[in-house]
Parts: sequence; structure tokens; C-alpha cells
Amino acid sequence: MLRTGCLAIAAAASLLIGCGGHEARTLKMRTALDVGAPREAIGALNEELDVKKDDELPKDLEGDNALLVLDRASIQQSLAQFPAASRDFEAADKAIDMLDLAHNAGDTIGQYVFSDSAGRYKAPPYEKLLVNTLNMINYLERDDLNGARVEARRLAVMQRYVAEQLHEKDNAILGLGGFLAGFAFEKSGDADEALRYYDEALAFSGYRALRDPVRALAKVGSYKTPRITSLDGPEPLPEPLEKSGDGEIVLVVGYGRVPHKISNRIPIGLALTLFANDISPNDAATANKLAAQGLVTWVNFPTLGKAQGAYETPACRVDAGYVQLEEAVDIAEQVRTEWHKVEGKIVASAISRMVVRLAAGVGIQAATQNSKSGAVQVVGLLASLGTQGALAALDTPDTRSWETLPARVAVTRVRVPAGRHQIRLEARGVVRTQTIDVPKGGWKVVSLMALR
Amino acid sequence: MNFRFGTSAVPFALSALLAAGAAGCGHKEYVRDSHDPSIDNAAMSTGIDKDDIQRMLSENLNNLRNAPIMDLWRSHKGADTVAVFPFQNATSEHIDSQLSAVLSESETWLVESGVVTMISRERQNQMIAEVEGSQHPVFNPAHVAQYGRQLGAKYFVTGKVEASDERTDDARRVQYFFFMQVIEIETSAIRWQHKAYITKAVR
Repeated sequence: MLRTGCLAIAAAASLLIGCGGHEARTLKMRTALDVGAPREAIGALNEELDVKKDDELPKDLEGDNALLVLDRASIQQSLAQFPAASRDFEAADKAIDMLDLAHNAGDTIGQYVFSDSAGRYKAPPYEKLLVNTLNMINYLERDDLNGARVEARRLAVMQRYVAEQLHEKDNAILGLGGFLAGFAFEKSGDADEALRYYDEALAFSGYRALRDPVRALAKVGSYKTPRITSLDGPEPLPEPLEKSGDGEIVLVVGYGRVPHKISNRIPIGLALTLFANDISPNDAATANKLAAQGLVTWVNFPTLGKAQGAYETPACRVDAGYVQLEEAVDIAEQVRTEWHKVEGKIVASAISRMVVRLAAGVGIQAATQNSKSGAVQVVGLLASLGTQGALAALDTPDTRSWETLPARVAVTRVRVPAGRHQIRLEARGVVRTQTIDVPKGGWKVVSLMALR
Repeated sequence: MNFRFGTSAVPFALSALLAAGAAGCGHKEYVRDSHDPSIDNAAMSTGIDKDDIQRMLSENLNNLRNAPIMDLWRSHKGADTVAVFPFQNATSEHIDSQLSAVLSESETWLVESGVVTMISRERQNQMIAEVEGSQHPVFNPAHVAQYGRQLGAKYFVTGKVEASDERTDDARRVQYFFFMQVIEIETSAIRWQHKAYITKAVR
């Protein structure tokens, strides 16, 4: 029986030892993005996904590949490959939703016995909301209001879920989502639906450019809230676009990268000090006993790395003049806030796993120590150490997250004479220049995602 | 807290983990419906598939078959010209290509019925481009009467799909409401309208 046990452990360990988790799978991608080589980053992801082309989806989207497809979607968007970005966003959206819905007790047991990464990926609320928010940009860039409205409705479903089931009603992502969704419905001629979304955006700071458009819409729409009516004032509204012969441009700049998760390994004593409030009294007692015996036992758990580009100031020019962008959302801050909510629980489960590992080792040793044969006792000791070692090797910190999200997003909306315009967006050393034709009474959306 | 594992518990648990990891790595193969008709049965997403399209159209077109407008068209012996305009997607799913299939199915049904003269979709697309301008030649539901008049059509068939999409911790449900209507271009009067319901869910 012992031999069988050792073999099983060895087999499991050989499969999983050396697996550095999600963080290691995306290292090449992050390195490429850091040096400003997004095409190489996509190449690295394609390699991980085992696909040959940028528009190819992996055979299996049921596991963590969905996250890699989401990463690829963001990078495709940064390269202005909007149809391919949409396809990736939509495939990943459904796959991540399925993973989320399929979360079950087996995953929780796996997380508390083997590894946090043994469970299915559960996307935090900001990721759920950003899939549809960012995909709206892909459709608006292509003048596809129909597609943008579908994404806006998907966002509304997720927003309702986040507010009602997860009890998060003030997620700042909703501001950016409301800004873009409101625009999609406004330009589709649905004033009330547009006002409903704009009202959500106005609940957050950074959308001053919406003031006049919302005042104008409120004159024709019937949807009213105190926030919308408070915008009304004595100053006259600008002439309608059709009358003035103008058009509008929405500019969106995402820059930097959110902090991604990195694996961490600290001695049990330090973990007990740092996360004393989060550990169950039983686990704390066992762990304290181990620490008191002088056993150096390590706890593996993920922590959050540093965000990139958080202090950048993006620049935007329309023809010869500079345009002021407003910060719409600090996504990096959302990531940190969400992480702090779950960090204690993650360390607690890591300590539980460590206690399980030791208990498994002690169990094996206890089963053999009463043997009269010295050889059996030695084998028992080795098996005990082997079990603990193998289980420690299996314990890969869960470093899964959507790593290619911009750290911050800034937006603005400007009125321009109809006709040809030259747009120049710049952030983190990445520049996008785009010539656009704005029809009379029409609109254009131009974006830059500088993921460095 | 005391943890106690029998000596066989660890290998068993690890074996179970390995088995779980290995599950689903089976061989994949291509199949056709004529060899395995059951492949059409499974719902693969909360979008609309062939079965949903057939059920929605069956409900609506069977109703149209017995509607007064069909009797009127029959009495005119194919003299009435009818255009089919895109169905609006007002749902939370990207089902535009499926709606395009619904449109083609409806067009085919009307052509095969032989009671009206259908206007070619290619001609319609040209007309849409003429009305909307070359810069943004996309169908605009607000201009359907204008398209119809310029095409010389007397009626047009169109429709809309709306949806109620809800999500909880462990399920997502999309309820589709599929409306079809026949509109007289000259008066904008709705001469026929019917609806069908479809629900898809992940649970």
C-alpha cells in the first residue's frame, strides 16, 4: 500500500512539479508588452494556447485558456485589430461565465487541500464588467452601433448581478460602461435608454464632457433622475449637430497595466503574524504549535505585484489642437481593492493546506512507526517526507487574473466640424495616429490602449 | 484541529485528482447530422440555434398562413410586391447571423408560397446604400418606409427579437421574444403581427 502511495505521489508530483502557475505561462507575454512589442506578446499567447494564428481559438476554452484569450483580446484591441479583438472578447466572455457558473464544492475542497489554482477561475466583478465595457469600444470603433448595444445589454445584465448578488453597487467600472453604453444608445436614437446609462456614468467623477449632451437628451427623453435634472441650467444648449453641421468624436485612452498576481512564499511564523485575523483558531493553534517546535514550514500564496504606468499623463490631439482627457476609471485601484477583500481568505486557505500536508505526512509515519522492522520505519519516514514534499509541490499559488487590463482609462467627447480630421493619441510611448471622416451630424470613436 | 489521513487516503485523493485532470482529454471527431441526428439536439449556448429558429418560424409562419393578409395576397394572385427587411436584434446576444438566417428562411417561405412577388435582397441593399449614403450604408429601421417606396414594394416583412436576460450565482437564463410583422408601406399600417417565445439557459 505504501509503495502504491509513493508511486501515486511521485506521479502527481512529476506532472505538476515545475509548473509555475499562470504567472509563468504569461511571463513571455508580459515581457514583450514591457518592451513595446505587442505582436510578440500575441505570439507568446498563441504559443501557450497552441494555435498558429491570431484569429484562431484554442480547442479547449474550458480551463484557464479563457484567461489567455482574454489577454489576447486586449492586446488585439491595442493593435487596432478590432474584429479579432471582438471575437476573442466574446469567446472568453462566454467561457469565463461558464467557469463562473460551474464553480462548485469540489473546487473549494481542491483549494483547501491541494492548491488555490486547483479550483476553477472565478472572475472578480471588475473583470466581469470590463469584458463588455472594452468590447463596446471594438464595435464603436467600427461604427457598429448594433454590436455595441448588444455589449451594453450584456453589461447591464452583469451590472445587475454584481449589484444584487454580489452587493457591489458603486463599482467605478460602471462609470466607463455607462459612458460608452449611453453613447451607443444616444447615437441609435434611443434617448431614454441613453439617459439611463449616462445617469450611471454621472454617479462617478470624470465625465464633465457629458454635461451638454445629457442636457440636450433630457429635453427629448422622459427618463429623469435628480442627477440628470440637476445638470439643467440657464446657459443655452449648443445647437443640435444636424443644424450646426458638426459631428462628434469620442476619444478613449487606456494606459499602463494593472498589477498582476505573483507567487509568494513565507515562513509560517511570519504568515501567522501578518494574517492573524484571517486564520481560523484551530488552524492557528496547529500552526503555532509547529512554529513553536522550530519547524521551518513555508506557506505558498499569491500576492499582488505593482501596477505599471499609473502616473502617466496621456496626450490627445485633434488636428493641431490638444484636447484635455478626463480620467474615467482607475482600474488598478479596483484590482487592489478587490484583492484586499479576498487576500486574508486566500492566506487562510494556504495555511489550512499546509496543516493538511503535515497531517498527511504524520499519518503515514504513524502507520509505520509501530512496525518492528526498522526498514519499514525508515520507509515510513521517507514516505512521510515525500508526501509533504509532493503536496507542497502541488500547492501552486493561484496567480490567475486578466493581466492585460490598462491601469487607467481616460476619455473625452469633443465636437468638431464635419469632415476629415487627424487624431493623435499618445501614452506610455505608444502613439496612434488616425485620419477620420466625421459625417455631418455623425460621430466617430477612436481609442488607444497602451499596455506598457 | 486534528487531521488524520489513512495511508491509503493520500494516494486515493491524488489518483482522483489526476483522473479528474485527465477527464475530457478524449479524442475528438467530426460528425455529420445524417450519420448522427442527435448532434442537433444539444443546446450549445444561450444564443439561438437551428432548432430555435425552426420553432420560432414555425409558430409565426403557420399563423401567417391563415392570416387575412395572406387571403388578400392570394386573391391578388401574386400581384403584390413584398420586401423583407432585416430583423432587429434587441437582445444581449450577438445573434445577427442567426437573424439573417431567419430572414432568408422567411423569404424562402414567401417565395415558395407563390402568393406574392418578392423583391430581391441585393436590390434592397443597393436601395439602402442610396438612402443612407455611401459613407454609412447600413440598414436603419427608421427609414424602412422610404426604402420600401423606392423599391416599389407594397408591403414589407420585418421583425424584432427582444430578450430578458438574467443571471444568478449559478445560472444564466435568456428569454427571447420574437416578433414578426407585415407592414403596408403606403399607410404604415400593421397588417399582421405574431410572436414566438424561446428560452435558453445555462445552469
